[in-house]
Amino acid sequence: MGFTRRTALVALTALGIAGPALAGPQIDQPAPDFQATDASDRVRALADDRGRIVVLEWTSDACPYSHKHYDSGNMQRLQAKARRQGVVWFTVMTAPRTSAEYMTPPEVRAWKRKVGSHATAVLIDSDGRLARAYEAKTTPHMFVIDRDGRLVYMGGIDDRPFTDPKSLKGADNYVADALADLEAHRPIAHPVTRPYGCSVKYPPLS
Amino acid sequence: MMRWLAAMLAALAFCGAARAQAVDTGHLTAELVSQTQGIAPGQTVYVALRQKIQDGWHTYWRNAGDSGEATTLAWTLPAGWKAGAFVWPTPRRLPVGPLVNYGYEGEVLLPVPVIAAADARPGQTAVLTAKASFLVCKEICVPEDARLQIALPVTAAPAPPDPRWAGPIAKALAAAPRSAALTAAFARRGQAVALGIVGGPLKGADVRDAYFYPYDSTVIDHAKPQGLDRGPAGLTLTLVPGYAFQGGAQPKALAGVLAIDGKAYELTAAPGPLPAGAGGLGPPLPKAALGGSLSLLPAALFAFLGGLILNLMPCVFPVLAMKAASLAAHGGREQAQARRHGLAFGAGVLAAFLALAAALIALKAAGAAVGWGFQLQSPPVVAVLALLMTAVALNLSGVFEVGTSLQGAGSSLAARGGLAGDVFTGVLAVVVAAPCTAPFMGAAVGWALTQPPAAALAVFLALGLGFAAPFVAVTFVPGLLARLPRPGPWMEVFRRVLAFPMYAAAAWLVWVLTIQAGEAALARILAAAIVLAFAAWLLGLEQRRQAVAADGRRGALGLLGVALVAVATVAVISPPYGQGAARAQAAPRADLAGSSYSPEKLAALRADGKPVFVNYTAAWCVSCQVNDLVVLSTPPVAQAMKRDGFTYLKADWTRRDPAIAAELARFGRAGVPLYLVYGAGGAQPVILPAILTQGVVIHALDAGAAKAG
Repeated sequence: MGFTRRTALVALTALGIAGPALAGPQIDQPAPDFQATDASDRVRALADDRGRIVVLEWTSDACPYSHKHYDSGNMQRLQAKARRQGVVWFTVMTAPRTSAEYMTPPEVRAWKRKVGSHATAVLIDSDGRLARAYEAKTTPHMFVIDRDGRLVYMGGIDDRPFTDPKSLKGADNYVADALADLEAHRPIAHPVTRPYGCSVKYPPLS
Repeated sequence: MMRWLAAMLAALAFCGAARAQAVDTGHLTAELVSQTQGIAPGQTVYVALRQKIQDGWHTYWRNAGDSGEATTLAWTLPAGWKAGAFVWPTPRRLPVGPLVNYGYEGEVLLPVPVIAAADARPGQTAVLTAKASFLVCKEICVPEDARLQIALPVTAAPAPPDPRWAGPIAKALAAAPRSAALTAAFARRGQAVALGIVGGPLKGADVRDAYFYPYDSTVIDHAKPQGLDRGPAGLTLTLVPGYAFQGGAQPKALAGVLAIDGKAYELTAAPGPLPAGAGGLGPPLPKAALGGSLSLLPAALFAFLGGLILNLMPCVFPVLAMKAASLAAHGGREQAQARRHGLAFGAGVLAAFLALAAALIALKAAGAAVGWGFQLQSPPVVAVLALLMTAVALNLSGVFEVGTSLQGAGSSLAARGGLAGDVFTGVLAVVVAAPCTAPFMGAAVGWALTQPPAAALAVFLALGLGFAAPFVAVTFVPGLLARLPRPGPWMEVFRRVLAFPMYAAAAWLVWVLTIQAGEAALARILAAAIVLAFAAWLLGLEQRRQAVAADGRRGALGLLGVALVAVATVAVISPPYGQGAARAQAAPRADLAGSSYSPEKLAALRADGKPVFVNYTAAWCVSCQVNDLVVLSTPPVAQAMKRDGFTYLKADWTRRDPAIAAELARFGRAGVPLYLVYGAGGAQPVILPAILTQGVVIHALDAGAAKAG
């Protein structure tokens, strides 16, 4: 959290006033555009990747759910497979600079090497703008955007909302399913599922 | 099998009651605790998973909300034993930035029903083992596990309750969401989903903090506020839909827990039109607007002021004559004697206020929808008071005397009437005159009835002090007593004159009674009054006979009189009264076409955006009657109603009516009068003062109509 309950309530109230008009990302609608800086200080924009499939993956090195997928190599395998299909994979780390979870660009680069990530880039979302645009709730929280820039999948990485690594066995990986459906020009079988994991650490609204 | 035996042997080392070991998993301490000291074969007892969570950390409900994971328990049980699912306590909302989770902080008990095998052998000890898995979160989340055990002795008969845990587990079970007779449905409304809920438990409930916790984590956006619209039969929550509604999809049902007014109910809503009466009355008033923000000291001050002002309200007309007679008697008294009488009156007032308040609090605690003035909503009470007023009037008319013989009449008028008479006057003043609310008093009494008994009684005490203060104060001002005329023959004339206001008060109570209980009651109360008058005359006759004979013997006439008084009183108490003609009170006057109030009617009018004037009144509320007569039923007000397009609704509280009591409570009131002006459009109503003038009403009506523009 990194900030007080009171600030959280203020933030909630602020969101509440905006109300349903701010209804988050919608399936089959243009995915919210973004500009974010990656761990190599390069600015990445969704619009730059029009014509390619884009995957957004929220993660946190402090979260046992993210660890389940990285420690087992599950996430890296999925990234590698997707990249082979030409998918652009952005891993997103949302945490305010004041938070214990925040990692500096060199730390993120070191983390990426250490875990053997195959992501195209790791976006550092310290102001939480990207998380707010997608209403990212958990780590992991997954989004798949098709070649026309439309959001086609959002939700959990699979159907096993547990931290136990044994739960990976036999799991239905919704992101792999969505990518396969896109390749086969099929409608996405499960376009929306429940994201599970630790809460995304939002910076307080100023 | 070996492990089972080993566990059994280990368990045998314990003696008697259920034994378990708490496990510290890092951020919480977990243990299994039992409701009972043992378990009989085939019996079901509740074993609870107790979590003592570190400060700042939390674990999760069955639907964790935006993130997190529910606590789980995987049992390893002896053959033939069974364990059910958690009985989840109502969770708390735990905001995490713009997200909201549902879970628990501090200490929490998750009860689980455990059923012993039918062939379990008494004398043995069963060891129940479970692996508890928690996700414990603060800024970070930590999955923690504990292998927990509880050893339960198998007993031939149901075992006694566990001294430490039976109470807390019973409390957790009692507080857990329960199934209730609620009807619920949901429907898309533009971007939102409306969830309409109606049913008995919602009637009269304080809906301000109503919240729906869904079981499924995909049906609503947990973090968004839930909009609230009150209805005559329930409420409608406006929810921001979750993933399950994406792309025009719709879940088959919305199931979850409705937390409302300190209680929680399980419900399942089907898609479809919302049930009737689920909305239309608008959002509840914020607490601050209701005097809900009062605290004890200002409330007591308001009550004291209200009590003072009550002395000037039309309400006290019926007992004015009694007070005047009592005051006049001070004329010939010594200062100290006058003070004693003043204090006796004050004591009667305070005793009556406290007794009425205690009865009201007890009735409310027992679940009755009652408010201030409840005593006059009961026909037998009104009938007895009518007889009492008649008796007082007959006494003032000189038909009979109270407390003294006629011997001393004229010579020692000042001494007439003991202290008991003053206490009686005080009690009657409160019972008959205090049911209406005065300015300041409405908010104070409304607040008091939402407080614990001690605070409530303090407010009523302040009210009584305010009501009694002027009268008692008079006896303490030496100059004033001196200015009262000395007693003399004029006193007798004065008392005879005062009898007539008392006859009027009796007539008024008879009128109230006929509105409550119909024309049949009229014959009964009049017959009883005649018997009472005859009895009074007999008593007077006896008193005069004794005055002449001076033999001190109680004669047959007196006894007959006392017996007849008893007969008259019993006759008006039993058998019970029927219902009066429907809302005779609400018959529209020629110059003010109105209709009787119902929450449904108000909701329908409000839904159409029509301006409405609601008059919460009662026949026994003299202030209400005066306002009706002097202000509301006058041509200028009627013209203003018509001009501004107002619908006039009369909410008659002469008889007990839970719907009206609930509506009064919503505005922080416990009594009448209350006047609400709902302007055109959806705005909150304006509350008019308890004493109306034509100007105040017409101004409010014009302002309400202007809002439409």
